[in-house]
Amino acid sequence: MGSMNSPLQHYADAFERLPEAARTTHRREALQRLLALGLPTPDLEDWKYTDLAALRELTPGPSDYRTIPEGAPPADADGLDAFNATFAVDGLDVEIAAKADLAEPLLATGTGHRRHRIRVGRHARALLRIELDPDAEFQTAFFDVDLAEGASLQVLRTQDATPDAQLITRIRARLGRDAKLDVSTVDLGGKLGRHDLNVDLAEPGAEVRLRGLFVASGSGLIDNHTRFDHRAPHGTSRELVRGLAHDSGRGVFNGRIVVHPGAQKTDSEQRIANLILSPKAEINAKPELEIYADDVKCAHGATFGQLDLTALFYLRSRGLPEAEARALLTLAFAMEPLRQIPNAAFRNEALKRVATHLRSDLDEAALVS
Amino acid sequence: MLEINNLHARVEDKEILKGVTLSIKAGEVHAIMGPNGSGKSTLSHVLAGREGYEVTKGGATFQGQDLLAMEPEARAAAGVFLGFQYPVEIPGVTNLYFLKAALNAQRKTRGDKELDAADFLAYVKQRVKQMQMDVKMLHRGVNEDFSGGEKKRNEILQMLVLQPKLMILDETDSGLDIDALKVVSDGINAMRSKDTATLLVTHYQRLLDYVQPDFVHVLAGGRIVKSGGPDLARELEEKGYGWLAAA
Ligand SMILES: Nc1ncnc2c1ncn2[C@@H]1O[C@H](COP(=O)(O)OP(=O)(O)OP(=O)(O)O)[C@@H](O)[C@H]1O
Ligand SMILES: [Mg+2]
Repeated sequence: MGSMNSPLQHYADAFERLPEAARTTHRREALQRLLALGLPTPDLEDWKYTDLAALRELTPGPSDYRTIPEGAPPADADGLDAFNATFAVDGLDVEIAAKADLAEPLLATGTGHRRHRIRVGRHARALLRIELDPDAEFQTAFFDVDLAEGASLQVLRTQDATPDAQLITRIRARLGRDAKLDVSTVDLGGKLGRHDLNVDLAEPGAEVRLRGLFVASGSGLIDNHTRFDHRAPHGTSRELVRGLAHDSGRGVFNGRIVVHPGAQKTDSEQRIANLILSPKAEINAKPELEIYADDVKCAHGATFGQLDLTALFYLRSRGLPEAEARALLTLAFAMEPLRQIPNAAFRNEALKRVATHLRSDLDEAALVS
Repeated sequence: MLEINNLHARVEDKEILKGVTLSIKAGEVHAIMGPNGSGKSTLSHVLAGREGYEVTKGGATFQGQDLLAMEPEARAAAGVFLGFQYPVEIPGVTNLYFLKAALNAQRKTRGDKELDAADFLAYVKQRVKQMQMDVKMLHRGVNEDFSGGEKKRNEILQMLVLQPKLMILDETDSGLDIDALKVVSDGINAMRSKDTATLLVTHYQRLLDYVQPDFVHVLAGGRIVKSGGPDLARELEEKGYGWLAAA
């Protein structure tokens, strides 16, 4: 928690070099918080796998600054939130009217640091497509999501990164009564991927689903942290995540579920399955359950393994060469969480990404959708 | 076509096959019966090349080649097909893709031209109809959420698509209703010719009423303890295996 230590001075200097119009009061206040808090360090439990030290040397983003959503920082904001608020160049600031039904997804794409705010009105439905910059030396994309009563938002986020890319996302969502958030994530490649999903199931009947796949390869690290706060009765949360690691890739999945007092009839399930494809690869998966209500259903499980040898034999006994059989089983394993994505365009996009990444010569007939 | 000579095999430290000798010529149908745990599936797996079995003595040749030295996929391309007692579910991979990839991999190994998507679709649909299955199954995952009987039907469909020379069918009749048994039997009979051979592993005479064997063998305690004609199966159905163990 140092104040003006030299790595942070670098950011203070970078701020002063921003175009004058970009040095808004909001950004300046964010900078003050950044200087006070510093970036998270590996001695924090939530950051023990991801060291941001190298990022401190990097100059933040391109210079085409636009207005970004402003607002008070969330209660649990850390130095990274402050960093993002200081240097975000652009972002969506959308409010979807009650009962609207948006067929076309909102697009959160582009380069540089981004800060978005999305509010979905009562009983409205919307889609959000997040595509990270595959070449970013360092990109942060932060989302502040609010779903009103009965609102529904489906999100597809993809990281299909080049080996040097370092990408950080954070989605914070507040779910009103009976609101539904459905997040699908496909994280492929990159040097560093750090993705946080913090969902506040604030009112009764709220529901959140995460369908995730991460593939860590080369010497890359993909670090996922989720935190679901069940604060009201009859909430539902589902996490179906698959992790793959080859080469000396490392994956992390940390899934925290907090069932607050009074959140009775919470129904929560977390399933994480990992496939470790090389002796140097590593995946750490950890469920963290904190339950302060007595009438709840919370199931969780994490598995680690190699390919199913019986299935491998089955495919080979039909004539598939071993390498092809392995590739096919790996693909099937990876696709599992994504096959159930409700929106067809999102589902096809996600499956295609995975197929292309894992083996490029697979035709579409291979995929169950 | 298949010559099994004094085959001994074990799993981990347990000897399961203790000297199996069997000769199957092209055009023949052999049935193997025997008590649970006698080694029937083990024999089938060893012949198809499953890992985890150690052959300690004896061997097997297929069309003159050392079968046990071949990779499972090479055995398949050479014409060996195993219908699994417990077919495996491969969620997410469609039957259509699986069948096409398997057939084309075999054809490639044999130096035949691979089928394109359109030709393959016509080819496979005809066989799906033959097995009285819904063509929609082609777009479902391999055996994914199939009932026990549907999985067995799917084994025979795979066999019809791949057109093997030696069919080892491990309890393909178990779990089939009467109509399905008829369809499966018709599928097996359609593959019978002077150039193909069949090894049926079964517990029941009712399959053998449809697919009439030339020879019936009893495998017990890892050895063939008795061989005979079709009548032997009827005798076993009546008397069980006890009288043989005593013999
Ligand atoms: N992987 C293994 N490890 C240990 N024992 C095994 C293994 N596989 C098979 N066995 C044992 O080998 C013996 C023969 O099994 P096998 O499956 O070949 O019998 P089977 O004749 O096919 O029986 P069934 O009629 O019940 O299908 C059994 O005692 C079985 O428990
Ligand atoms: Mg058996």
